[in-house]
Formats: sequence, C-alpha cells, structure tokens
Amino acid sequence: MAGSNEVYANESRTVVPLNTRVLIHNFKVSYSMLRRQDGSFDRHLSEYLERKVPANAKPVHGVVSLDLLLDRSTNLLVRIYLPAPTVTGNELPQQALLSALQRPPSPNPFPVIIFFHGGSFAHSSINTTIYDILCRRFVTLCGGAVVISVNYRRSPEFRCPCAYDDGWTALKWASSQPWLRSGEDAKLRVFLAGDSSGGNIAHHVAVRAAESGIHISGNILLNPLFGGNERTESELELDGKYFVALGDRDWYWKAFLPEGADRDHPACNPFGPNGVKLDELPFPKSLLVVASLDLTKDWQLAYAEGLRNSGHEVNVIFREEATVGFYFLPNTNHYYEVMEEIRSFVNSN
Amino acid sequence: MGRNPYHPKPTDEDSSSASETDTLLAGVGYTVRSSDLHHVADRLEKLDSTIIAAAASGVPPEFLCSSAIHYNPSDLASWIDSLLTEVPPHSSPSLWTDATCLPPPSSFSIDAHRLGKEEDAGIRLVHLLMTCADSIQRDDLVLARSLIDEMRLLLPLIGVGYGIGKVSIFFLDALDRRISFLPQPTKTVLEDEILYSHFYEACPNLKFAHFTANQAILEAFNGCDRVHVIDLSLMHGLQWPALIQALALRPGGPPALRLTGIGPKTAKVGLRLAEFARSVGVPFTFQAVAAGRLDSVRVKPGEAVAINSVLQLHLLLSETGPIDSVLTLIRELRPKILTVVEQDADHNKPAFLDRFTEALFYYSTLFDSLAAGGGDGGCSAAAEVYLQREICNIVCCEGSERVERHEPMGRWRVRLGRAGFEPMHLGSNAFRQASMLLKLFSSEGYGVEEVEGCLSLSWHGRSLISASAWRARADSAVALVARHRYIIL
Repeated sequence: MAGSNEVYANESRTVVPLNTRVLIHNFKVSYSMLRRQDGSFDRHLSEYLERKVPANAKPVHGVVSLDLLLDRSTNLLVRIYLPAPTVTGNELPQQALLSALQRPPSPNPFPVIIFFHGGSFAHSSINTTIYDILCRRFVTLCGGAVVISVNYRRSPEFRCPCAYDDGWTALKWASSQPWLRSGEDAKLRVFLAGDSSGGNIAHHVAVRAAESGIHISGNILLNPLFGGNERTESELELDGKYFVALGDRDWYWKAFLPEGADRDHPACNPFGPNGVKLDELPFPKSLLVVASLDLTKDWQLAYAEGLRNSGHEVNVIFREEATVGFYFLPNTNHYYEVMEEIRSFVNSN
Repeated sequence: MGRNPYHPKPTDEDSSSASETDTLLAGVGYTVRSSDLHHVADRLEKLDSTIIAAAASGVPPEFLCSSAIHYNPSDLASWIDSLLTEVPPHSSPSLWTDATCLPPPSSFSIDAHRLGKEEDAGIRLVHLLMTCADSIQRDDLVLARSLIDEMRLLLPLIGVGYGIGKVSIFFLDALDRRISFLPQPTKTVLEDEILYSHFYEACPNLKFAHFTANQAILEAFNGCDRVHVIDLSLMHGLQWPALIQALALRPGGPPALRLTGIGPKTAKVGLRLAEFARSVGVPFTFQAVAAGRLDSVRVKPGEAVAINSVLQLHLLLSETGPIDSVLTLIRELRPKILTVVEQDADHNKPAFLDRFTEALFYYSTLFDSLAAGGGDGGCSAAAEVYLQREICNIVCCEGSERVERHEPMGRWRVRLGRAGFEPMHLGSNAFRQASMLLKLFSSEGYGVEEVEGCLSLSWHGRSLISASAWRARADSAVALVARHRYIIL
C-alpha cells in the first residue's frame, strides 16, 4: 500500500494543476491527522486548521452574504448569499440587506439554490473559505440566484439522519419565506445542490420533499458520496491514488451511519438491497457530475442507473481525468465546463 | 479530451514574479508563494507517505502527530515544514511567521427563528434606529426626536425578551440621551468592579481572554527563573490564580513571580493573590501601581517580563489619547511577551451612523449570546448594565469622553506593527484548550476561531473578542526618549 502511493503520485502530477494538487493534498494530509482509530474525531484541531471567512454585508464582486440562525435547539445556521441589493441614498449595506429579507415575492423569477457543502459528513462548515467562494460563484453563475448554504450537523458527533433533518429544516424554512418566491405565480424555484456528502444529503432531502409535496426544480450533485458493502472495480483500482483511500471512505461511513449499520444502509446505498423505491414519487430531475479519477465513481454511476430505473431523469456529466475537488479552483476546463452545465441546468428548469 | 485536459486561463500567475503568492490559493485561505508551490507539493507528498508508512507498520496518524503543535495553517510552507520536523517527534521548533493584514469585513447575524410578525416590528425598529442615527449625523435633531417618539410606540409590539428587541431599547435610550444632551451618569469604582465581576460570571468572554493570554504567557516563560507580569488593569485579579497555579505545576518547579497590578485599590487584591501563591508554593511579590502610572513601573535585569492588556488599549485611542506613548513605554520595558485582548468590532469609525450601526449589530450578537447562555438571572442583568454602559459611551460621547473605541484585530495588527511589535502566533494547543473549556462551561453556539495567529471567541460565527500575543521586533530601536511620562488611563 505504501509503495503504490509512490507510483501514482506521478500520475496526479500530470492531470492536476500544481496549486490544485497542493490544495487537495493538504486536505488529505491534515484530515488524516483528525480521524482516530476508535472512531472519534479531533474536532478542535479540525476547527483550528479549517480556513474560514465571515459573512459580509458589503458586496464582494456583487454578492453579499449573511448568517441566519434557523433553529436554536440544533444551532442550525445557514449562510445566505444574494446579489448585492441596490442601496438607496445613504443606506448602509446592512440596511439594504435587511430590506431584501422583507421583500414581497419578486415579479422576476430567480432560482434559489440550497447548497450542502462536502467534507464526508465530518469536515467543513458554511464559513469554510472553499465553500464560501463556491456559493458566491453560484450566485453570479445563475444570473442572480439566492444561495442558501446549510451548516448541517456533522459526524461523528451527530450521525445520520441529523444532517438530513437539518437539510429538511432549511428547505421548509425557505418555503415559508415570501421574499424567496418569484415570478408571476410567486413560486419558490428551489434547487438542491451539494458536493461529496452534500450531494448525498441533497438526494435524501429531495426524497423527503417529494414525499411531502414540496416541488424541487432540480438536484445538482457534484461527486456525491454513495457507497455499499460491495467493493467496486473503481474502488479497488483507484484506492490510494488521486488523494482518496478506501480505508478513509470506510471511516467516514462508519462515523456517519447509525451504530451497527453497514454500508448497505439506505443512507449510503439508496438503490441497494435496503433502498427506498422512488418510482411513484415526483422526484426532481438531476444533474450528476462524476469525476473519472474519483474512486467512488462506480457508486455514482449506479446511482444514476437507479434513478433511471425508477423513471426519473438524470443528466450525467462524466469528466475524464478529473479528480475530486476540481471545482474548488477555476484553473481547468473541468471547472469552467461543469459550471456552464450547472448554469444551463438551472436556467432551463 | 486528451492526456492533459487543462489549459490555464490567463491569470496573474502566468506573468507573476517568483515572490508573488498564488492568487487562487490565496482566494481559498492559503498563502503560498508561487515559487514555493513545488516545494510544498513535494513536502506534502513526503508527509503523506510518512503517515501511510507509519500506519502500515502499526502507528496510526493520531499517535504519530499527537505532539505536533500547529501554527498559522494559512502559511502552508511553514506549516508543512514544521510538521515534517515534528513527525516522528524529535526536535520541534515553534515557527513564528509574519502574516499580511486582511481588511475586516462588516458582518452580522440575525436570529431567523424570530422572523415573523413580531420580527417585522423588530426589523422596522432597526430601520428606524439607523434612520434616527443618520438624522443625528446630519444634525437634524427635530427629525431625530420624532423618530425616537415613533420608536417608543413600536416597543410594546416587539418581544424584548432577547435578541434584537432588548438591545434596541438600550440603543434607543442612548440616542435619546444624546439628543437630550444629558450628562453621563456618574460612575463609582465600586460599581465598576461589581458590574465587571457580574459580566465575568455571566458569559465566557473574559474567561476566554484570561485563559488565552495565560496560555501564551506560560509558554513565553518557559525556562525562565524569574518572571514579572505587569497587568495594565488588575481589577479583581481574576486572571492570575490560574497562571499562578500553572506555574506551580511547571515541570522543574515554579519561577519566582513578580506581579505588578495597575489600577485603583489594587493592594487588597495583591494580598489575596500573595496568599494564594504562598499556598501553592510559588515565590511571589506584588507591586501596586496607581491607575495611569505605567511610567512608574520598573523591571529588574534578568527577569522575563509579560505585559497583559485585557480590554485596555482601546481606551487610549481618542484624538488626544496616549496610545503611542503607552506602546512606546511598553516596548521600553522590553517584554518577552505582550498579550492583547480586545473586542473584535469597529466602534471607532469617525462617522456617527457607521459607528452606531456597527455597534447595533455587535451588541445584538453579544446580548443574544448572554440570553442564550442561560447564566443565572442576577448575573445576566448586571452584565447587561455593564454592556449598556459601553453602548452609552459609544453612542452618546465624543472626544476624550468617548473611551470605548473598539477596533478590529486587523487594525490593531497594523498599529502594533508600526509601534515595533511582531506577532507571536497562538497555536493549536491554545486553540484546543480554549475550545474544550468552552464546551464544558458554555452553551452551544460559542466557537473559537483562528485568524493569522490570533484566537477569537465567536457566537454563531460572529467574532466577539480577539486575543493575540506580541513581542518587540528585534530591529526596532529601543530608544529611551526623554519625553512626557504622564498618561491618563
């Protein structure tokens, strides 16, 4: 195992830009110091090492953000990103922002994207810089979207289904806000989006939404985290190369899934032996981005298959020679082309 | 797509010189010089291989890296270099690195749980408060008065239990005082002390300040036999028993500790601390110094000096204030460490409306934390009065009367840099201990943040109070200038 890492270090050098390599490798190395064998997690060191940025009522590249506490009992925070509201006269940015939250439904339709950050259910928060940047990008990408980044409870301190519950709370809150509705029909045009564990959460929240009659315009899943007991070909072949090791994946599932559950639990393997049938449900359309050098790609492709078999639409964007985390830095074709796919998916739905 | 599917979009990096930082990594929080990228990448690979190899031979990363203390994670090059020296553990030099300044953003958080009919009135009240402040800034006191009357009518509609409601009342009262030209209420030293100790009990803010400063001082005193702590404002001396205790338990035995306490009526506190030190076996002497007489403090040759300033420096920032001479005095005392704890807020902006708005949202967050903290009712009420006084000072006073001139840590960094100090970064062990203490003694919602070597206490992500450590730059001239040594503190 130690030896094989050497060989493929050369591979990642040629397919990944140098600064991306430094970024993702830094995550890999620092994350490995946080996971303990007994299943516990060095949360203090994790918070110390994370690079964070506060919300900002002053526009940065035309986008403002603010943090809202949705649920005091679970300390559920969300960070809301919106296009900088027009400031009238001597108004301060905070005043303009407050006014924006009290607006009635806008006649001009705009999308609302509820975003779940990645981190294998254990890492990162809404104020982690890489995710703050990504959410800001989504606002301008989709022509003035409102993005709501959800600070869901993380494992191992909070296991499944806490993260799903938090996502559901955020969705219900969004549906109750008049200022998030738009268009002639004053509708909430909401998309669920997420990368890695966030993609997994987006799926499960979409299922609850479908079961409860909340209409979701679409799901956007970037390298979503799924798995199963079986070891797939891609898992065996890519283990330890391109920044991700199978043993680490196992640790995160063990930390997230209920005690005693295995990876065929429906949270992890929604179309597996314990999966829930989605055939009868009004499940939204999905945009699924898969990186060819992600060792979980076989599970992601199986997920797409499962959606299709249930009669639901899914557009799979398969990126050759992309690794995990390609969407953090705007320095590859993968980044720009995937952003374009997201933009057109949101605009056409 | 081809073997090498990426083409770099034209960016600054292409034509940057070797000493420039990679802009994309800087955007996500990491400072790495473009010329260092290969080095850092190689070092990361090396550490990764070491970790994997160790794990394969039965030593998991948690043991391999357990003694490592991390500093300034944004500076990837020095972070990875220092880790590689600590893993496997041999020599572990601590690395202090200088960092660039970030402008403080303006941020606030609102409790959306209260958003509803009640909060419509609350948000309206906030709007009115800001409009009233604006009219005061433009000298339209007639409009200001009518807005105040209108706001008083709104008050019954708002839940003033906590959050924006309660703090709005205090701001409303302060605005009223300001345009009524009422003199400031007289304060006694006794009242000050009582309110301070209730504030200390009601929330973790001061405990965090004391704890973090003590941690840094303890580390700075490593290996020193004679140490001298100068506290710019002794108050009840609540900070010091913990340090005395820690020094008593130091491997190799405690140093001889001298404590100089500046402030009114410090002698009694000094006596109590002396008794405590005696009981734990720390050789201890105490020197009482009157408030404002830092100039009369003397240091002895051969002793390691720590100067401690908790919520003191901002008091010196008025136009005629002595901040520069005080910082010079501090430097001339040649401290091994200067610990600075300040409110992380921008309440010293020249324009009244800006100041008012910043304070409104800062204290709203602070009051929210007090309320949710669930401290005993008595402490919370007195703590609110303590904070109300700060609010009144910020809103009602000008010139030398306005002493609550809080500034964000970024600006302190610049000021202290100009005064000849360089930062000593607070590391992951201080972070971890602060974090653990918070978990034990405070409600969920508090957090610790690390930014460029400073640690701050935050409530739902909003930084409230920031702690940092400094030492005199080696190259700064310590000129003993004969100048006025008279300070008003």
